[in-house]
Amino acid sequence: MIDVRQLKKSFGSLQVLKGIDVHIREGEVVVVIGPSGSGKSTFLRCLNLLEDFDEGEIIIDGINLKAKGTNLNKVREEVGMVFQRFNLFPHMTVLNNITLAPMKVRQWPREKAEAKAMELLAKVGLQDKAHAYPDSLSGGQAQRVAIARALAMEPKIMLFDEPTSALDPEMVGEVLSVMKQLANEGMTMVVVTHEMGFAREVGDRVLFMDGGYIVEEGKPKELFDRPQHERTKAFLSKVL
Amino acid sequence: MDFRFDIIVEYAPYFFQGLLATIGVSLVGIIFGLILGLFIGLGKMAHHPLVRLPFTWYINFFRGTPLVVQILLVHFGAMPLLLAEPNAIVSLAVSLSLNSAAYVAEIFRAGIQSIDKGQMEAARSLGMTHAQAMRYIILPQALKRMIPPFANEFIVLIKDSSLGMVIAAPEMMYWGKAAAGEYYRVWEPYLTVAFVYLVLTLSLSKLSHYLERKYSTQ
Repeated sequence: MIDVRQLKKSFGSLQVLKGIDVHIREGEVVVVIGPSGSGKSTFLRCLNLLEDFDEGEIIIDGINLKAKGTNLNKVREEVGMVFQRFNLFPHMTVLNNITLAPMKVRQWPREKAEAKAMELLAKVGLQDKAHAYPDSLSGGQAQRVAIARALAMEPKIMLFDEPTSALDPEMVGEVLSVMKQLANEGMTMVVVTHEMGFAREVGDRVLFMDGGYIVEEGKPKELFDRPQHERTKAFLSKVL
Repeated sequence: MDFRFDIIVEYAPYFFQGLLATIGVSLVGIIFGLILGLFIGLGKMAHHPLVRLPFTWYINFFRGTPLVVQILLVHFGAMPLLLAEPNAIVSLAVSLSLNSAAYVAEIFRAGIQSIDKGQMEAARSLGMTHAQAMRYIILPQALKRMIPPFANEFIVLIKDSSLGMVIAAPEMMYWGKAAAGEYYRVWEPYLTVAFVYLVLTLSLSKLSHYLERKYSTQ
């Protein structure tokens, strides 16, 4: 589903990704952990080319992102993204936030887009907020709307960039439970997070990144209980 | 001191003509300033520095030199090259358009760049093109923030149209000066002209407040 080979990326003279190789299968939930500055968010943002990369290649669902003739917008239609700061559109109601892309990008008629939006709002438990504006939502509600907005495009892959880092602690659970449900339905997911409980419970595989490399990867149980690498041990001893 | 209303009455038809000319050149300046300014603002946001350069210098020139000088250059320099018989009103409208475009460009640029970049990223991540993201996400939010600076700019533009006097464009100030010249009176003509400008600028300012309220209720 996602194939990343020798991915390298620099910001000016600072190389933040120094050669990432990873293969993600359909339906797999991959959780990326690591200290800040390890390049994990940059890696995630490269997967839909919100961040351009310098070397290597990324192949998503058979499409090479950097190949000539690749329509990036078409790729992005299949790759949903949820951001740390929600990034809801503040000038639109919750419903319009969700229906905009299906209508403008997928060319769905309004009725179909709204039906889909209401179905998704029900799924994240926010039908009653359809006509509210994002300003009136709590952080947890906003993030659930953001997830619904991404799902409305019916993507094959979902990327989560620290989706609970900007939330008050009591709202983390409601967002994680929506993500967990999504994982159980078989969605292919790449999740950058500091929620080790979520990584352990929901992740099929955990990648530990540090200094621009994937230092260690494995099933959550192995990686958390028997980390091999010194840097993994040091990191886990601080966060667990 | 006696106040000679008869001068105002006598000049009323001319003041009215001047008012129409002032409103006309101001409207032209606002409309073409907006169109040209949007274009220049977008140009100034181009990625490539060489593409940006001419737009940057357009803004530098028209913001950095006096409008009077620009009016004289347009009327006595540029227009004779383009028209057989330069017309002062046309020259004034062109000068105001070119000048306000520079300010409008900066208002556009600042307005667009003031929108959090997460908005563009969210839109692009949903598969929207850059143009779609601009149209549905960035511009609606940015335009709201641009209302007060635009009102400011266009109030200045209305007042600055009085500089058309230096090329004898028959706008309102021109007739004020004519009346003052004929009767050697200062208060009557200039206060009348000042009052009419005040009515125009206050109306614009009211309109701006109305728009601001209308678009901030969400």
